[in-house]
Amino acid sequence: MTGTAVSTLRPTDLASARDAMLAVPGRVAITGAGTADWAGRLEPVDAVLDTTALSGVLTHNPGDMTASVLAGTPLRELAEELAPHGQRVALDAARVARGATVGGLIATADSGPSALAYGSLRDLVIGATVVLADGTVAHSGGHVIKNVAGYDLTKLLQGSHGTLALMVEIVLRLHPIPERVATVAVQCALADASTHVQRLLMSPLEPVALEWADGRLLARLEGTAEAIDARAARLVELLGGTRMDDEVWQRHAELVGGRPDGAPTKGARLRIGCLPSRLPGLLAELPATAVTAGFGTGIATVTMPSDAVDAAHKIVYAAGGTSVLRDRPRDCDAPAWGPAPSALPVLRAVKSTLDPDGRLGPGRFAPWM
Amino acid sequence: MGAENVVSDPARCRAYECDGLTGYRVVPELVLLPQTAEQVASAVRVCAARGVPFVARGAGTGLSGGAVPVAEGVVISLQRLRRVLEVDPVNRRAVVEPGVTNLDITKAAAPFGLYYAPDPSSQQVCTIGGNVAENSGGAHCLKYGFTTNHVLALEVVLADGSVVTLGGDTGEQTGPDLRGVFVGSEGTVGIATRITVKLLRTPETVRTLLADFPSVAGAGEVVSEIVAAGIVPAAVEMMDALAIEAAEAAVHAGYTIGTPAALVVELDGPVEECDGQFEQVKAICEAHGCTRLHIAGDAEERAAVWRGRKAAFAAVGRISPDYFVQDGVVPRTRLAEALDRIAAMGAEAGIRVANVFHAGDGNLHPLVLFDADKGEHDRAEKLSGEIAELCVELGGSLSGEHGIGTDKVCSMPKQFTPEDLAVMGRVRGAFDPSGLCNPGKLLPTPRMCGERPGEYRPHPLEAAGVIERL
Repeated sequence: MTGTAVSTLRPTDLASARDAMLAVPGRVAITGAGTADWAGRLEPVDAVLDTTALSGVLTHNPGDMTASVLAGTPLRELAEELAPHGQRVALDAARVARGATVGGLIATADSGPSALAYGSLRDLVIGATVVLADGTVAHSGGHVIKNVAGYDLTKLLQGSHGTLALMVEIVLRLHPIPERVATVAVQCALADASTHVQRLLMSPLEPVALEWADGRLLARLEGTAEAIDARAARLVELLGGTRMDDEVWQRHAELVGGRPDGAPTKGARLRIGCLPSRLPGLLAELPATAVTAGFGTGIATVTMPSDAVDAAHKIVYAAGGTSVLRDRPRDCDAPAWGPAPSALPVLRAVKSTLDPDGRLGPGRFAPWM
Repeated sequence: MGAENVVSDPARCRAYECDGLTGYRVVPELVLLPQTAEQVASAVRVCAARGVPFVARGAGTGLSGGAVPVAEGVVISLQRLRRVLEVDPVNRRAVVEPGVTNLDITKAAAPFGLYYAPDPSSQQVCTIGGNVAENSGGAHCLKYGFTTNHVLALEVVLADGSVVTLGGDTGEQTGPDLRGVFVGSEGTVGIATRITVKLLRTPETVRTLLADFPSVAGAGEVVSEIVAAGIVPAAVEMMDALAIEAAEAAVHAGYTIGTPAALVVELDGPVEECDGQFEQVKAICEAHGCTRLHIAGDAEERAAVWRGRKAAFAAVGRISPDYFVQDGVVPRTRLAEALDRIAAMGAEAGIRVANVFHAGDGNLHPLVLFDADKGEHDRAEKLSGEIAELCVELGGSLSGEHGIGTDKVCSMPKQFTPEDLAVMGRVRGAFDPSGLCNPGKLLPTPRMCGERPGEYRPHPLEAAGVIERL
């Protein structure tokens, strides 16, 4: 941030969001609940658009299993409104419990263990209304789950890190809350986890999450009250292990998304994606102090010393994977991203057509653009 | 590329003049049949250098005119890029060329107990490249999602002939989701030459029933109640009396002639889950005045139920010389209202409308029946367009899975504001500044749709008093 006062605007609806975008000159940071400092370090800006007052559920249509919210709504608040109807947004990213907003979770392309079954928000967002840097209001998608009319510009928001548009309204598809959830933990070394995972994934048991953390593999099943015990028993028969309380996932969430009180943790956290079969070998090469690894999804979160991040990007890239810094300690000046993807010219062209003056989120994609 | 891969004889070029929407025809100047991705890229480079528009084409089964050629342009057929490059059972994915058919991916994966989930009705012939362009759905997308949810990576030839990869091995993103923008872009931002898809494990069990109801509205209530019970069926399909009559005449699948509505409900998954929920579905059907409940006892009976459903489009030819297929979507809770309105509109126009649809996700496929020889074409076409626009009015969409293409391009201003369309145009320009890639599809142009900007409706900001039109 610059030494001069940076003005902060807190729009509350579409009209004031557009006004705010037009009222602030120069470079703008879009902020949410502040539960992550993901991607490149923000360069100095002239103004902050704080989305936390863009909050509230606009519609919930239980029969259609859709809901729309203002983008600054914490996902957990939406979850509380949906729960009495037996519905949910099927996203269990670690930051949700700390108040992460819907817009923030989209902007960072975050996801949790159940991405194995439900994907990330890219798979759950069905419509959006945004304000571009020049004040243009645009919407895409709509309020129906099945919709191929026009380009799906909601996808551009996913992983945009506040650099393309201010999200104002988001429409989501919902899923039923399962009657029961069962977790089975199998003690095993990281190197042995993928063998278990292969057996489970080739079985008909349909786990919704499969994560290795803290010396054990956690498998989560969702289902009906009458069927869940039988399925969990089949899982134990297949892999060994024991039924656990769902609280075991809290420890996993801390390793991924930090402490529940948001207090700083030691080391830098890197989110990695690579072919599941390459993940054990890749993780063995990294100087990790803590690891969670989704051997079904290929997504891992690795904590490491700040000075190891730069080299880690290159190791991941060499394995054909992707990496991004999802939590940056103050002392860490490492780049957030590894080598640039081949589609960088397209990313640059999209950025320059939607934000020609480069106003939004400067630095987030450094050193690429 | 070699003369054997180029078609220039106008008579042979005529074979490429239309896709599955046969009402729009344009004979291309030239048809190219590249054999490799490199040849696709070099063909596009030549087009770019000379400013020649080009249209990518798969099997030509699309129903929205998305692959209609451009006059004085080139068709680039992907039919000869049909290798399954890799099936990786450990990581549960396949890498294929764009000309591989949808069903051939599942055939390649089947020995490993895996399959490719999206299943458009044309899956035996439609290509994965076309599926990517259209973001194809299918009967089972209610539970499993659409093409976009199953594509991890795309190698794409852009309009300038450069080659980039969108997405990656895990679907993890480095920056905004360009792969997600490409899927469903109807061939207007590039040509996919290599596609990595997810494979799923074949479900342990599948249970299918066919249930008759005294009214379409009654069958609709059953769908709502199944959903309210927290059940996510693999598929829920509905057919009305006219559609059943046509399908039975064609394939004798065992549907009840004369019943006002029939529902196909399919559940799949682990045995314990599936069996319990299937009993619940049966009970819901019975509680809503089901007049006949047929449980598919084995794979053969299940196939028969699906044969009837999947044959419905083509079978309509048995009861009408000509027809249009629509593809609008309404919120599921407004299904009954939509069908009533469609029936009234048909009655007023003196045109019959048969209904086959994906009831679980509100995706209608009204079949507008007419006889061109009796001069009914224009009336039917008008009704068909009005039905699509009715879906927008009810809070839905012009298209659930067939795409906008040429067919519905002039209806886009009903669903999107001029600002929305302008932003889509900016994104298109980011991929293809020259505008050579399948021009005239998806986004309306004054040349195609006249200078009319579409029906006036207040912009949200205008309604809120923030801006005003002078």
